[in-house]
Amino acid sequence: MEILEGRNLRKTYKLSRKNTVEALKGVEISIGQGEMVAIMGPSGSGKSTLMHILGLLHAPDPNHGPAPELFLAGQNVAALSDNDRTKLRARRMGFVFQDFNLVPTLTAIENVLLACDYAGIKGGAAKTAALEALGLVGLADRANHKPSELSGGEQQRVAIARALVNKPEIILADEPTGNLDSERSAEVLALLRQFNREHGQTIVLVTHDSEVGEACDRIIRMRDGRIRDHGLQASARALGGQPVAASA
Amino acid sequence: MRLLRDLGRRKLRSFLTITGIAIGIMALVVFGSMANKMNALINGGSKYYADKDVVSIGSMFSGNFQPLSLSDVEKIKLVDGVAVATPAIDMLLDDSTTATMGTPEMISGSIAGGDQGLENFKVYAASGRLLTKDDTGNQVVLGSDLARKMNASVGSTVTLRSTQFQVVGILEPTLTAPDKSAMVPLGAAQQLFLKTLPPMLQNAVNVNELATSIIVYPNKGVSPETLKTRLEAALGKSYTVMDGKDFDAMLGSISTIFSLVLTGVAMLSLLVGGLSTINTMAMSVAERTREIGIKRAIGASRWRIRREVVLESAAIGLMAGLIGLAIGAVMTTVFNDLGRPSGNVLFDLTLGTALTAVVFATGLGAVAGFVPAWHASRLDPVTALRYE
Ligand SMILES: Nc1ncnc2c1ncn2[C@@H]1O[C@H](COP(=O)(O)OP(=O)(O)O)[C@@H](O)[C@H]1O
Ligand SMILES: [Mg+2]
Repeated sequence: MEILEGRNLRKTYKLSRKNTVEALKGVEISIGQGEMVAIMGPSGSGKSTLMHILGLLHAPDPNHGPAPELFLAGQNVAALSDNDRTKLRARRMGFVFQDFNLVPTLTAIENVLLACDYAGIKGGAAKTAALEALGLVGLADRANHKPSELSGGEQQRVAIARALVNKPEIILADEPTGNLDSERSAEVLALLRQFNREHGQTIVLVTHDSEVGEACDRIIRMRDGRIRDHGLQASARALGGQPVAASA
Repeated sequence: MRLLRDLGRRKLRSFLTITGIAIGIMALVVFGSMANKMNALINGGSKYYADKDVVSIGSMFSGNFQPLSLSDVEKIKLVDGVAVATPAIDMLLDDSTTATMGTPEMISGSIAGGDQGLENFKVYAASGRLLTKDDTGNQVVLGSDLARKMNASVGSTVTLRSTQFQVVGILEPTLTAPDKSAMVPLGAAQQLFLKTLPPMLQNAVNVNELATSIIVYPNKGVSPETLKTRLEAALGKSYTVMDGKDFDAMLGSISTIFSLVLTGVAMLSLLVGGLSTINTMAMSVAERTREIGIKRAIGASRWRIRREVVLESAAIGLMAGLIGLAIGAVMTTVFNDLGRPSGNVLFDLTLGTALTAVVFATGLGAVAGFVPAWHASRLDPVTALRYE
């Protein structure tokens, strides 16, 4: 079953009235439930832009040609309002960023609690969930530390705890290991893989690191605003290497 | 808690903004307290004058009375619609009294029971008793402020215009004119008043006939205004007849000036405090662009972001309001303590004024937060996340 399916996804940024950048030039993508997918490609090829659309941070452009479609577990979310997209982000998505993006004034647990709060989980239940999430990333003893008191690797683990505290169906990670040394990278990757295996969370991660890419079930390769290679889905791989979708 | 920490992070700027609003609120509290005092005075007077006419020659507000005579009382009693007419003497306690805030200290002489029970403005003795018909000598009942100032108690002796009086009672506070009055029997007041007249006049008048005003109570069903017209017709132009409407017209303007000053102060603090709060919050939002991006990305709705900014802004207002109120309360207390010996208690900080000031400051903060909050809520999460 596909958890994310997109067709005709385009995004054009307006720099000025005449100057525009076509970051996505019509992407078709399909991500299966429980998959751990890497998106790779040269800088500027549209990986982050695609992630923002898959993560409902941005809506795809309403095209002049064929209308964009984006299905989240079968529900068309291509044309939802900002408010509805926000609700889905809060409850069904988790985000991890390259530069951690923790709120600097809040402690580790408060950062995690934010995500609970936005998903409508409050009080004791939230506290329990937040502590559990911090425990899963091995930072229960750092719950009351501010981000500035934590190392990069620790900060990223707090961010992962925040991303998965609501047990979202999908975790989207944009270069989560980009600012970490290889040892910390391996830790973070192992964590993501663990949640993928144990909780069946779908993970989409953008990376430059081919080692990280290789550790995933599938690598989607982008170039110049298009998907060049969809890679082989795990199930397909197991079946002997039939590609799930034709290369663009 | 988080709110307070966010405020703490921008200590200096928040401090300046809070100080700005606090000064406005302090002014609001001080002027408001003064207006309370003034309004209590005026309302008391208004209530006193509402149901009667007061006949005099010259104005009682200048404290400069020409003597009337008791024969005027007889003349007035003949006017149709008069229930009771009773003479009184009002004079300044001290001629050197210059213009003061509020009512001046007065000696007020009247015939005990002269109103025949028609007076609606009742005073009560806090200690001792009120004057009776049997008080024919130098007895005095002191208003509460005057008693405190003279450090007098029942049984003690006080000097009024170089004459010794025995204190037989002290009034409960009325918040208006009687608080600063010394009430004496008419006869004693006539003796004091005689001494204030020019020597030539002193020999010409009969001291037992003297009065400065005649208080006229209308019959049931006759309005003070109607009676005023009749009195004026009967007495002629040299007499002044004042009813409650005249009093309100004269002192209503003072009330109006106070509300204008108060409104002015409120508007000014609204403008200054509001603008500086808008500025503080706009900068705070700009500084936190990235943080707002993070929150939006992980699922904070626009509404949540707006609420956060408005609450922080309201907290600034609330804090400023409390500080302004505290300073204002200290100031009014100190001013009142300083003024008490000279009988100038000018401020009355009521619970209503205090609450209004704090609510006003908090509301101001919240409203000033709207624009920055709106801006914050419209930020694109992805762009905000990239913001350095
Ligand atoms: N907010 C933006 N405004 C204008 N151009 C943008 C914006 N975001 C991305 N771009 C442009 O879109 C293209 C794709 O960017 P991006 O999706 O970030 O690529 P990647 O993540 O693969 O490096 C790039 O040319 C980039 O400069
Ligand atoms: Mg990128």
